[in-house]
Amino acid sequence: MSASQRILDDVRRTPRPMRFLGASGQLGYGIPTPAFNAGLARQPDLIGCDMGSIDIGPTYLGKGEMATSPVATRRDLRKVLMGARQADVPLVIGSAGSAGAAPHLDATLAMIRDIARTEGLHFRMAVIRADMPRALLKQAVRDGRMTGMDGMAPLTEQDIDEAAHIVGQMGMGPFRRALAEGVDVIIAGRACDTAIFASLPTMLDFPPGICGHMAKIIECASLCCVPGGRDSILATLDADGFELESMNPVRRATPTSVAAHSLYEQADPYSVTEPEGSVDLRDAHYTALDDRRTRASGARWMPSSTPTIKLEGAACVGERAVLLAGAADPRFIARHAEILPAVAEVVRELVCEDQPQDYTLRFRVYGVDGVRGFAPDGEPTPGEAFIMGECIAPTRERAAEVVRTTKQYLLHHGYPGRQSTAGNLAFPFTPPEVSLGPAYRFSVYHLMRVPDADALFPLEIETL
Amino acid sequence: MLLSEIAQVIRSKNAGPRRLTLDVMFASDADYQRVVQSPALSREAIGLLYRIAPEHVAVIPYPLGRAIKITLPRDTAGDPGDRDVYGAQQHAPLLRIEI
Repeated sequence: MSASQRILDDVRRTPRPMRFLGASGQLGYGIPTPAFNAGLARQPDLIGCDMGSIDIGPTYLGKGEMATSPVATRRDLRKVLMGARQADVPLVIGSAGSAGAAPHLDATLAMIRDIARTEGLHFRMAVIRADMPRALLKQAVRDGRMTGMDGMAPLTEQDIDEAAHIVGQMGMGPFRRALAEGVDVIIAGRACDTAIFASLPTMLDFPPGICGHMAKIIECASLCCVPGGRDSILATLDADGFELESMNPVRRATPTSVAAHSLYEQADPYSVTEPEGSVDLRDAHYTALDDRRTRASGARWMPSSTPTIKLEGAACVGERAVLLAGAADPRFIARHAEILPAVAEVVRELVCEDQPQDYTLRFRVYGVDGVRGFAPDGEPTPGEAFIMGECIAPTRERAAEVVRTTKQYLLHHGYPGRQSTAGNLAFPFTPPEVSLGPAYRFSVYHLMRVPDADALFPLEIETL
Repeated sequence: MLLSEIAQVIRSKNAGPRRLTLDVMFASDADYQRVVQSPALSREAIGLLYRIAPEHVAVIPYPLGRAIKITLPRDTAGDPGDRDVYGAQQHAPLLRIEI
């Protein structure tokens, strides 16, 4: 019998509290073994891992590459797969391969199959894809069913054609369908992190508000503790609430630390929005069970009237090359705001001659305003500064040409009062110009209203 | 007194690629009350600090976490010219707020 069927049958036959092990909030960056093993010893009913996020920026989604290293990713996958098969409980992994599009999911599956072969593991695996069919998206644009998130410009059919990958965030429905099929492992493309943990208990009539609240906390492993960290966390869920305990004894889940976790990467600490509805945390409360365990309750579920899917897509904007250089001359640093545009103009004249400019060239001056974008009035001129020049051009060769020319003319640019006439820049190494490959931007970050959200996420079953 | 001398945590992060969310967290209810009742973290004051119109600034007191949340719009994370893809260093202007 499959692990999901066994757990579903067991809890249906004899209703009881359930235990969920949040093994990792970022699979591929290392899962501390002692805490994970301590979690396994507590006999969880499900092991869940989130593997992706939109926070890492558009390039991974666009290029179809993982943000984590293959070696570390395989090590983490092996650890959770071996643990789950040994305990014979469902392993649920969401947002496979960092961004959850086809290449990310396929790379994750290739690792899973290789681990299964090497370790002699046999199991039933659900694979849920999250890539959105382009024709369907275009139809939604024509029907006026697309809304930009947080002020994104309206989506066009051209945006859909130009995006390298477009994924939708699946909610609980596709996971529930997989769990009901009877599987041991679920590997999902782009998914809501809460669905990883909330799908199973909501099939067993645990209150969805409580399940969603629990899921939102444990998908980040022990981040809700003091000190916060990446060790596995155990949640014990009943009909009225859930108890949290980090599997690393130094990490304490306190009422304040758990309540404060609702702030993390959320625009509104009182509400968590999901495809099927939202978790209302206005009446959530937190009670200490002892000095390192907290019980949470009071979250309510507000079902959504129209199912929506959040879409993420990335489009290539050109090839990126950068120039890396330092400066320690106070006169040069003080005058950088006039020097850099002057050099950019010299470069443009040289590399474009009478043709229109076909690239962008930007500078960030670290030590001055590289991070913030502006320096507050009255801030003193720093003793050193780091200058990054960034070119995005139609081809790799063009981007390299622009930054190499920029390097030379910035190095030797003359300005009033210049004393360092042999060179304005310190290069930490040469070549100081680096080609970084294609650059992407998020071109799709929209909500799509759909009659049947779950139908967009096809389920495949594979027996290994 | 500076906000950085009163608060235990002052942090920023993206809440999706189009919004920045800043959390100011306190070690005691007294510190939280002192700041939450001060006009220094009003929408107008934050707007001025970040050069954003006050109507786009949300300031949400969160007493359960002894925290004040500030949410601002941002240019899409990762777009060409972005300076902070994760948005994790945009708290700096808050540090020097005088309470």
